[in-house]
Amino acid sequence: MTEMIKLFVNGEEVEVESGKNLIDALEKVGIEIPHFCYHPALGADGNCRMCLVGIEDGRPPVVPACKTLAKEGMKVLLDADNIKKIQHDVMELEFINHPTDCPICDQAGECKLQDYYMKYEGTESRMWVPQVTKRKMQDFGGGVIHDQERCVACGRCVRFLRQITRTGELGLVNRGDDCRVEFFPGRPINNRYGLNVVDLCPVGALTSADFRFKQRAWFLKRAESICHGCSKGCNIMVDHNKEKYEDDIIYRLRPRQNEQVNGWFMCDEGRMTYKLENDNRLEECTLAGAVRPLADIFADAERRIERATKVLFLVSPSASLEQLAAVQALAEKTGATVSAFSDGYIVKDDGDDFLIKDDKAANRAGVDLLGIAKSRTHFDNMAKEADVFINFGNDLSRSLSEEQIGRLFSDTWVLNGATHPGQLGAVMEKKVGSSIALRSWSEYHGVVVNCDGIAQKFVGGVMKNVERPDIVEMAAGLGSPATGTAAAWALVQKKIPALAEFGGFLELPAEGVKLTDNEAGK
Amino acid sequence: MAAKVKQLPSRGGTPAEKVYLIEIFKGMAITLKHFLRNLWDNSNLYVRHYPEVQPDIPARWRGRHRLLTHPDGTPKCVACFMCQTNCPADCIMIKAGTRIDGVTEKMPVSFTIDLAECIYCGYCVEACPEDAIRMDTGIYAFTSSNREEMKIGMTEMLSLKGGFPEEEYQKGLEGE
Amino acid sequence: MTNLDIIMVIVRVSISAFVPLCFLAVCVTMERRVAGFIQDRSGPNRAGICGIRAGGLVQNLADGLKLAFKEDIISEHVEHKFLYVLAPIISMAAAIISFALVPFADTLVLDGKSYVMQGIPWDTGILWFLAITGFSVYGIILAGWSSTNKYSLLGALRSASQVISYEIPMGLAVISLLIVYGSINLSDIARFQGQTWLGFIPMWGILLQPLAAVIFIVAAFAECNRTPFDLAEGESELVAGFHLEYSAMKFAVFFMGEYVAMFASSAVIVTLFFGGYNIPFFDTDFLIRNIKPVAFVLLVILPVFMFYFAKWIRRNNRSQYLRENDPRKAEATIYIRCFWILIAIIEVFLLAILAFAQPDTAAAHLLVALMQICTFLIKVTLMLFVYVWVRWTIPRFRYDQLQMLGWQKLLPLALLNIFVTGAIVVALG
Repeated sequence: MTEMIKLFVNGEEVEVESGKNLIDALEKVGIEIPHFCYHPALGADGNCRMCLVGIEDGRPPVVPACKTLAKEGMKVLLDADNIKKIQHDVMELEFINHPTDCPICDQAGECKLQDYYMKYEGTESRMWVPQVTKRKMQDFGGGVIHDQERCVACGRCVRFLRQITRTGELGLVNRGDDCRVEFFPGRPINNRYGLNVVDLCPVGALTSADFRFKQRAWFLKRAESICHGCSKGCNIMVDHNKEKYEDDIIYRLRPRQNEQVNGWFMCDEGRMTYKLENDNRLEECTLAGAVRPLADIFADAERRIERATKVLFLVSPSASLEQLAAVQALAEKTGATVSAFSDGYIVKDDGDDFLIKDDKAANRAGVDLLGIAKSRTHFDNMAKEADVFINFGNDLSRSLSEEQIGRLFSDTWVLNGATHPGQLGAVMEKKVGSSIALRSWSEYHGVVVNCDGIAQKFVGGVMKNVERPDIVEMAAGLGSPATGTAAAWALVQKKIPALAEFGGFLELPAEGVKLTDNEAGK
Repeated sequence: MAAKVKQLPSRGGTPAEKVYLIEIFKGMAITLKHFLRNLWDNSNLYVRHYPEVQPDIPARWRGRHRLLTHPDGTPKCVACFMCQTNCPADCIMIKAGTRIDGVTEKMPVSFTIDLAECIYCGYCVEACPEDAIRMDTGIYAFTSSNREEMKIGMTEMLSLKGGFPEEEYQKGLEGE
Repeated sequence: MTNLDIIMVIVRVSISAFVPLCFLAVCVTMERRVAGFIQDRSGPNRAGICGIRAGGLVQNLADGLKLAFKEDIISEHVEHKFLYVLAPIISMAAAIISFALVPFADTLVLDGKSYVMQGIPWDTGILWFLAITGFSVYGIILAGWSSTNKYSLLGALRSASQVISYEIPMGLAVISLLIVYGSINLSDIARFQGQTWLGFIPMWGILLQPLAAVIFIVAAFAECNRTPFDLAEGESELVAGFHLEYSAMKFAVFFMGEYVAMFASSAVIVTLFFGGYNIPFFDTDFLIRNIKPVAFVLLVILPVFMFYFAKWIRRNNRSQYLRENDPRKAEATIYIRCFWILIAIIEVFLLAILAFAQPDTAAAHLLVALMQICTFLIKVTLMLFVYVWVRWTIPRFRYDQLQMLGWQKLLPLALLNIFVTGAIVVALG
């Protein structure tokens, strides 16, 4: 537990954590101090002057809150007239050359200038001289588009690229009303975390070329999820929306703060994984090549499993703990073998020391925790013997070539549960006994364990027009005793005692549960 | 609790009113008067002989929507989605894209209003920051035999002209 | 049975069955036009065949065609499909046969044989009417129940209780009438009203029994499910009540049944209280005896009437806005010509009667019978107008008010009326 101290804000006593600056400390108790340039991950810069507050103890009458540590007995003034005037005047200064093109600005709705204008200024401009015009729609590279007129010169982007990625592509040039953010000639943003500057920018100066003009911020529904792009398990916000007469699609992924895992950021590749969720999804469930209702497919597959001598289940290392447990329970009931063979998910030397990992599976640690075999030899042996093979969403085409898959299952009846076409290879998919279109991770809830052994919950908010089963439902349809996510979660809790104390997976804390090395199977 | 309760004197208590019939005959006399007058000469009916006689539409009338253009012919709309956000009937469907005519950065790629769902409240006009949409065409009748035709697109709305002189329209706005 | 007998049977049955049906058009048109005029609107005046709109009659044709060709839907949740289909038929059939015993002219004497001018020459008279109207509510109850719809069922329940409440005052009002008339036969009742009192006051039921007339008319409104007693439909609270689930022709049959019932009860009201087929001050014998003067008067009156009628048509049948070569004026000319031709034909007949007919011959009897039929229909039309007039004036009763009126006001009044009438009749011997 951090130590708590007491201080006074506008004469009222509040209890805050010690060792933090005033902005962070007071934000925890719900008191907002306006600021542009300060960001917890980037530290205090003190250039925007928006966070000036009064301290009643004989020090300089106003101090920047971002650079002032909260101290016991401190008397902070936020609503004094001079503080209000400072905030008003800073806002007025920012607006002198601001183009106020909110109608075409993607930041509108989540823009600090807009919010603060409503809260701290709210007056009309007193300027009569023409505004200074600067460059608009400047391509900064890396999918970032810059609008110099909207910039408030807080320097967050510059500091991010210097302190976090240490690439330093951007810099602030010139002074006064000519001050602007520029990249060094011929060296645009070129790193794997570049799009984070879009999130960092408090105004609409930096926007994402990918998200540009796709949706207004206020239309987007948010779902707190976990990135399934690699085993790091970055916390993300899935921004999706279902437009009238259209399907529910994801428009962007944004990082969500989690000090234990990803801090405030995520990588650019992870951001773009939303496209996989939207496009080229498997839609139909087929039996012997014909589209059939799910119940028929389940009944047929159940009969085949009963008659088969050897059944092999292949699970995905990205599947949630519940899904893995449900398939395991099914395997126990039917005497089948479960494999999580997924060598192809590991991309050698792709990872770095920040967020990107070699292992592109979101729940490999969970596979190990539940004791599911994943070696190639085990899989090969079992595949040769098996006469019924059921794939639960594993993208086998990553690990094996089409010929290899074809050879393994040449005389095996295959049920392919998949989210996207091509997961068993195009040739094999034409020959499968039946196939089931599955839900993807943005459409179901669950828990995954990341590479550091942290179990994190995620919520799927996307509701596609096409009803698809998720893997728990598919396993249940094939006869698994775990008939729903709740039952599957109970099985998970039996296998992983550290999770037993949480009634449902939604009760997991937001920052995740750190499983001990022992439990994580290391 | 009783603050908002307003007690009105109860009517119908007198013996003459309690008989009902007298009051009923009084009422029937009124309707008969109207009937006989109109039967004798039907030129006094409060009826507009639509469609032969068209109503006078004031400038403030909210008719069909149109999209306005700059003098150079480019659409004023910048696809800010304010109208779609405000629309209580959820009948405006916009797709935004990068502007190609160089006026600003953003423009609608498609702008569809489903007139079958529109309730003609005029919130879109009020919300528009660019004065790009107005309901001043003076067109009040719009029929179709299928739902798809009730959706009007951007080209159609851009091609419509205002039904009133600009000064009259602005004068209408002042009243609001 | 002679040929004449057979012809007379056919004629009487046809009149009693088809006149109500023909009057549907009159009723519906009147309903719409009167409603329009009462509300200072014009009512339907657009539908026309080659520009001939016949004062809105063509609109009925259009609506009838529409209803006939609409898809006839029986909802899946309707379990008793037979009863569901039977309901409108009961409603319509009961309405038509309830008119069967109403005389539309005095007993016609041809070749020394007398023919009672009723659909069914039977003595049950007013009891038949009471029985059949009581039966017609089965159509409504059946419709409401078999629709398997809560609104319909509520409408049916209301209708059932309303009929029970209002049949009693109606029956009691009839009893006091019977005390006066001394017969249940409607022909006798009509003939009784042909007499005059003190030589110039017709002895109509409304004058002899004003209280019974009020009670009977109010109850008749309730029996017909007309405003202000149309709680079974109650569109503002029960959507459409008992016929909510009915569409197309089945709905149309209900609709027609309602108007036929309205016609039948108007006819009964006219027969009981307004002298039936009697032309005021002139009883049948007088007319037959003085056939030539009567024909002469008609000969003179008809063209005069037509002259003013033509003027009225001219005045009202024109476009109310600037229009070149107003086609409605041409239309008015066509109407006026048609009417003049009709009048001319009638004049020729009247002239023939004036020239050749002798009093107390078959021709005289026929002419008088025709005049009485016309009188009867005019009276019924006026009564129908009252129905329409009331509907567009008075709002619907609340359900408790309806029952209160039936049981607490009409029932005691009707009983009182019987005692008073009885006492007076006994006193006068």
